[in-house]
Amino acid sequence: MTRSVYAGLTAAALFCAAVPLSAQNSADALAIGRQMLAEDNPGELWAQRGERLFAEKRGPKGASLERCDLGLGPGKVAGAFAQLPRYFADTDKVQDLESRLMTCMVELQGFKREDIIRNRFGTPDRDSDMEALVSYVGSKSNRMQMDMPLAHAKEREFYKSGEYLFFRRSGPLDFSCATCHTEDGKRVRLQDLPNMMDPKQMQMVVSTGWPAYRGTQASVRTMQHRLYDCNWQMRQADLGFASDTSVALTSYLNGRAKGGVIQLPGVRR
Amino acid sequence: MKAIKLAMVFAPVVVAVGCASFPDADETRSSAEQMVKEAFPGMPETLTRRAMQDPAQRTCSIVGDAKLSPEQAAQVVQTSQASFKYPASGKLAGDWKAGAKLAADGAGLRIRGGQVEKMKENGGLCVNCHALDPQDVNVGNVGPSLTGYGAQRGSSDAVVKYTYEKIYNAWAYFPCSNMPRLGHNGFLTPEQITHVVAYLVDPQSPVNKK
Amino acid sequence: MSEPMRLRATLQGDVADVRILMRHPMETGTRKDAKGEIVPVHFIQSVTVNHNGKTVLEAQWSQAISRDPFLGLRVKGAKAGDKISVTWTDNKGDKRTDETTVAAPS
Repeated sequence: MTRSVYAGLTAAALFCAAVPLSAQNSADALAIGRQMLAEDNPGELWAQRGERLFAEKRGPKGASLERCDLGLGPGKVAGAFAQLPRYFADTDKVQDLESRLMTCMVELQGFKREDIIRNRFGTPDRDSDMEALVSYVGSKSNRMQMDMPLAHAKEREFYKSGEYLFFRRSGPLDFSCATCHTEDGKRVRLQDLPNMMDPKQMQMVVSTGWPAYRGTQASVRTMQHRLYDCNWQMRQADLGFASDTSVALTSYLNGRAKGGVIQLPGVRR
Repeated sequence: MKAIKLAMVFAPVVVAVGCASFPDADETRSSAEQMVKEAFPGMPETLTRRAMQDPAQRTCSIVGDAKLSPEQAAQVVQTSQASFKYPASGKLAGDWKAGAKLAADGAGLRIRGGQVEKMKENGGLCVNCHALDPQDVNVGNVGPSLTGYGAQRGSSDAVVKYTYEKIYNAWAYFPCSNMPRLGHNGFLTPEQITHVVAYLVDPQSPVNKK
Repeated sequence: MSEPMRLRATLQGDVADVRILMRHPMETGTRKDAKGEIVPVHFIQSVTVNHNGKTVLEAQWSQAISRDPFLGLRVKGAKAGDKISVTWTDNKGDKRTDETTVAAPS
């Protein structure tokens, strides 16, 4: 009894300590909140579940993902995220992490592509295996630097196409990614917009940004969801999961984030 | 001289076989445009055609540090000016209270699961990017602050007409600006735009109060 | 089957810094699902933390605690290798216990 009171008091003390700081400005207060979340990020639970799913024999073929080649050889997970998207000879495609995991789940485990796509985003009633797997694989590149390869012609094609798509305006609001993400200190309402022309801000988006636990959605979301959601806000039709458009944009963003030190999963609003 | 000639002969070859060469602008365009065509699997054409560009959008998709040429800018201005349509009533400043509602409403035309959100009318999206009512702190800053818009400019016919046209098709005045062409694209009706105009210029509007 | 908790216990002097993440929906009983129906109340009611088998914290929780809750505490008189076990029980009677050992500071 006395101990639980003590725990409650500690929580209250922490809260009080944060009050004078919050008066400085909203960015500082948000930074404190983010720091507290980063240390005890619920996204870790997704990474933990992803690690289990990766090793478990699953699907119609009863296989684990331990033969899955994420670019560094079968079963090699450490450092794989740092070098994605990349070209894969077996599919003759440039693939991001989500796209490549889907290939492995279909080829090795016998899952149906349509089912994976249907369950790509978790809901309060149903967790997404994809979000857990991406959290796990992403976290296995922690403390490494983003280093996406551009050695293959297709990798360069995707990077340049991603750049083109980043600046491509269309739709009933004439938006491109660049409309909101090419200047410092911009906001939509009170939501900060990273300036993706600045390599430092770009590194934050990629290497500590996605996959991230989103407090407002009570789930980890991946870069595929981030792009889907931006695309939705831009009034376009539902962006295809692991579509070439989404992978090319990811190539452009990840390529520009070169050198960013990875710490995943992240935490976002 | 001879060395220079040789270099000129070899340069294109080096680019063609160079292992670190990036595709050129035309190759990139054709590759990326193909990606856009395949970006929305299972979606009806009525929705995917939103991603197809009109000529002005194409001109305004300026990659990286490239600049809009004066000829391109003039072309965008010319076609944008030709796009203006005015409300049947001819009155360009409507009801500022209706305009206030529109300015704060950020919804309209979004698509989830192949369904367009159901709304009586689209919002004007204004406060997503512009400060308007000085009492409202929940405002964006992608566009300039418009607080005191009418107090500074007055509400003469010329100001009202300019404001209407600016909202209808911003690119007639600022080619390729970030501002969506809300009237031209049919996102807002001419009547809705007159309400937003009133919200900006009316002396009674909160935009023009301290 | 519920997701294992994520437990960390690190020694700082003679105090173990214990950090616990739990996977739980913590339904308040007021949220509606996609069909507009109320999702039944479902939350962790009690949490017990043991240090080498001796209870050092007992908590009664309500549905006011957030989804995927975090609990942090500091246990005095701990040594590296000590056992920390955590048990939660929810209002549906589901129960989960996970254990970790106190790690020396890295």
